[in-house]
Amino acid sequence: MLKMTDVCKVFRTELVETHALSDFSLTIDEGEFVSITGPSGCGKTTFLNIAGLLETLTSGQYLLDGTDVSTLSDFQRAKLRNQKIGFIFQSFNLMPDLNLFDNIDVPLRYRGMKASERKQRIDQALDSVGLLSRKKHVPSQLSGGQQQRVAIARALVGKPLFLLADEPTGNLDSNTAHGVMDLLHEINADGTTIIMVTHDLELATQSRRNVHILDGRISSPVLTPVDFHRESATVGS
Amino acid sequence: METGPILRAMTRNKLGVILISLQIAFTMTVVINAFFIINERSRLMARPSGLDEANTFFLTSIGFGENFNGAVTVADDLAMLRQLPGVVDVTVTNAIPVSGSGSNSGVRLVDDESAPAAYAAYYRVDEHAVETMDLDIIAGRNFTTQEIQWRKSGEAIATDQLIISRALASRMFPEREPSAVLGETLYISGLPPHQVIGIVEQLQGPWPTNNNLELSMLQPIHSFDGADTYLLRTAPGERDRLMVEVEEMLVASNGSRIIRNLMSLERTRAESYQVDSAMSTILWVVIVTLVFITCMGIVGLAVFGINRRRKQIGTRRALGATRMQILRHFMVENFLVSGLGVTLGAVLTIGFGIGLTSIFNMPVMAWYYTPLGMLALIVIGQVAVLGPSSGAARTEPAIATRSV
Ligand SMILES: Nc1ncnc2c1ncn2[C@@H]1O[C@H](COP(=O)(O)OP(=O)(O)O)[C@@H](O)[C@H]1O
Ligand SMILES: [Mg+2]
Repeated sequence: MLKMTDVCKVFRTELVETHALSDFSLTIDEGEFVSITGPSGCGKTTFLNIAGLLETLTSGQYLLDGTDVSTLSDFQRAKLRNQKIGFIFQSFNLMPDLNLFDNIDVPLRYRGMKASERKQRIDQALDSVGLLSRKKHVPSQLSGGQQQRVAIARALVGKPLFLLADEPTGNLDSNTAHGVMDLLHEINADGTTIIMVTHDLELATQSRRNVHILDGRISSPVLTPVDFHRESATVGS
Repeated sequence: METGPILRAMTRNKLGVILISLQIAFTMTVVINAFFIINERSRLMARPSGLDEANTFFLTSIGFGENFNGAVTVADDLAMLRQLPGVVDVTVTNAIPVSGSGSNSGVRLVDDESAPAAYAAYYRVDEHAVETMDLDIIAGRNFTTQEIQWRKSGEAIATDQLIISRALASRMFPEREPSAVLGETLYISGLPPHQVIGIVEQLQGPWPTNNNLELSMLQPIHSFDGADTYLLRTAPGERDRLMVEVEEMLVASNGSRIIRNLMSLERTRAESYQVDSAMSTILWVVIVTLVFITCMGIVGLAVFGINRRRKQIGTRRALGATRMQILRHFMVENFLVSGLGVTLGAVLTIGFGIGLTSIFNMPVMAWYYTPLGMLALIVIGQVAVLGPSSGAARTEPAIATRSV
């Protein structure tokens, strides 16, 4: 479903050239829950941005759902993001001036969906995160955990191929974080592929598979879930 | 279209929206009314005098010394000038249309100074005036050579015929066709009774700001008082050459006079309407300045809003907005602000227009000024916001995941 082969990403500024990802190869199959770990600055977000078509890659190949997306136009990438990818951000990234309903409506409107279908989907998405009764509220009236639930509903409402989450619990206290993680696991159990960046190893151990990045490269051979559970202690040290 | 959410989001940021829409409303009101005034002015300025202005000029010959004989000089000058190749015709006259200076007189239907009168400009001319001034006689006839009184100082005025403008004819005889006015007797203050022998389609008096600009008459007389003004009409394109030649020729032909006030009618018109042109220029400056300031306001609000919402824009891009959709988002936002502004502006404009009409006696503004002004300001707003919006559309989606 997601297949990266020898992907490199180089950021060039006047002073330095940063190799954020080097010879990065990774395959993720449908239904997986993959956690991406690694120290700060190792390239986790860069990987996520490339996977989510937010950034282009410098070299290598990226097959998304079987099609090569390395050479798509900005327009085509926007359309693909809209159709196939759900994003969950560390700081939720809700529109503060829009109520919950309108927030979740954002990706659907870019898709040009009929109003009646949008409404039905939005209500269903809000219901699935337990916030249907608050759809007229604005984000500032909600707690952080609730806001992240709204963001999850927004990511799910378009029925994407996979979810990309960048430190989804990074701004939450641990109790709330667990609630959000439980929700993500439920979603995964329902069949949605999830790729989650985190530096929290405890959360990473809950995923079925972990990819550890060091300096833009995958640090050890990709582990199976079984291996991972066995070796997670080493990863953490 | 996402007008609904944009509108709902805007209601949560009222202050900027209200300020800019008030500015748009104010600008629209001033711009529309200024436009209207400019148009009124240029409509007034564009009224034809009746003359062939592009090919007409005039000058004054002032005699001096013992040897100067006005009657002989004028007769010689006119004969000589009428011979000149390129000259269509020449007349002597006491006043020049559009020039701002001349004379008028009360015109009455009865020989009674206390009866109501129409005040009409008079031109004292010879029988060549009709051709020189390029007038259309729509009823009756021109003066004959014999009807012109060449009046030496001290002589009584003894003319008894008039050619009047159509406007004067219908002022005096509102119900009548021009031809039915022929033969009527008119009484001019201090003069013997005059008979209408001809009516011309149009001839303005000399004062552009006069309410009775179109009321005028020709009187077949020339008085010698030492200064004789000649009005000359030339063939097209010959005016400038002849202005030089005629002056030289007149100076050379007679040593007992000087030539003054040589001027084309076009220049006379420009000078007479100088205040109006200056006012139009000032209003144009006001319009351009206000529109510029409003554009700055619109751009400022847009740039501020866009910079404040960079991350939101990135998020929208991440969620699948194309560049076009982001561009449209901000165009729609501006359209809504402008829409509110021009709606307020329409109310203000109409109120202001009513004020202008009742206080300054301005004519009523045509209905289409307001909708055209609304449209213009919306278009201006959209153009102004195009730059910032396309800047917003270039926002990289990766900004959404960048932690701040
Ligand atoms: N837009 C950018 N321009 C230049 N360098 C960047 C940019 N984004 C990321 N980097 C650099 O790439 C490296 C990887 O960054 P990132 O993927 O954000 O790391 P992580 O998410 O693992 O903390 C870092 O050295 C970072 O400074
Ligand atoms: Mg990061």
